[in-house]
Amino acid sequence: MKNKNSITWIVLMLLTIITAFLIGPRYAAILILLISAMKFLLVAFQFMELKKAHSFWKVSMIIVVTFVSAAILVIL
Amino acid sequence: MKELNTNPDLNNFWYPPGGILVWMLIFLELATFGMGIIALIYCSKEDPALFHTSRLSLNKTFGAINTALLLTSGYFMASTINELRRNNRAKASFYLQLTMLGGLLFMVLKGVEYSQKLNAGISINTNLFYTFYWMLTAFHGVHVAVGLVMLAVSWLRLRKKDAVIDMEHMEAGAAFWHMCDLIWLLLFPALYLVL
Repeated sequence: MKNKNSITWIVLMLLTIITAFLIGPRYAAILILLISAMKFLLVAFQFMELKKAHSFWKVSMIIVVTFVSAAILVIL
Repeated sequence: MKELNTNPDLNNFWYPPGGILVWMLIFLELATFGMGIIALIYCSKEDPALFHTSRLSLNKTFGAINTALLLTSGYFMASTINELRRNNRAKASFYLQLTMLGGLLFMVLKGVEYSQKLNAGISINTNLFYTFYWMLTAFHGVHVAVGLVMLAVSWLRLRKKDAVIDMEHMEAGAAFWHMCDLIWLLLFPALYLVL
């Protein structure tokens, strides 16, 4: 568990560094939002232990982050 | 230390990690911030140049460092829960202090960013982008402050050798703290990067 959390933390840090260097047109916004959604789900499923929870909570969390990211992309 | 693990079956619909009440709160908060972010993006279409120029004046490095601080703090929070489950009170207390340190540093950096903006004459009334910026980040900051108080109370309890630790309460506090990460992970790209 501790090892998985450490790996998750390293991945989160790498994704944060990558995001900080992404500047540019629309495709960069898509990448930034995709990476942010991945980070969001990593925190929820690993650190918050959502992976052990009932499917309802897992699906609800995926719906929330997908809805917000998709809405931003559609409006942009 | 007496440790009560009252939440053995996390796969039960009624007992997600931390309890159903904190998860209802988490979804409510995510919906609130989600709507705020969608409103920010929608309003940016009214005057894209203003929003883009204003966004460029934000310090992206501060935003990225704050993201790293909250994520690291979240990692230590998860470690705290793991150590409590192993009945390792000393390590749990140490990790909880590191968790709080991450949150405090986040608040300090946010304070520096706010003071820079205020010194430059930028306030909530400067323009619509900054109205969103101040409201969304300050509302998030309030959540971090509340989370820090909750963690401090847990830490004080953890320090008492004869205190009974209720794991569901600890997990609820942890879930609330991670929620601050989740909100920031939505706010950071929307405010600092994509407009």
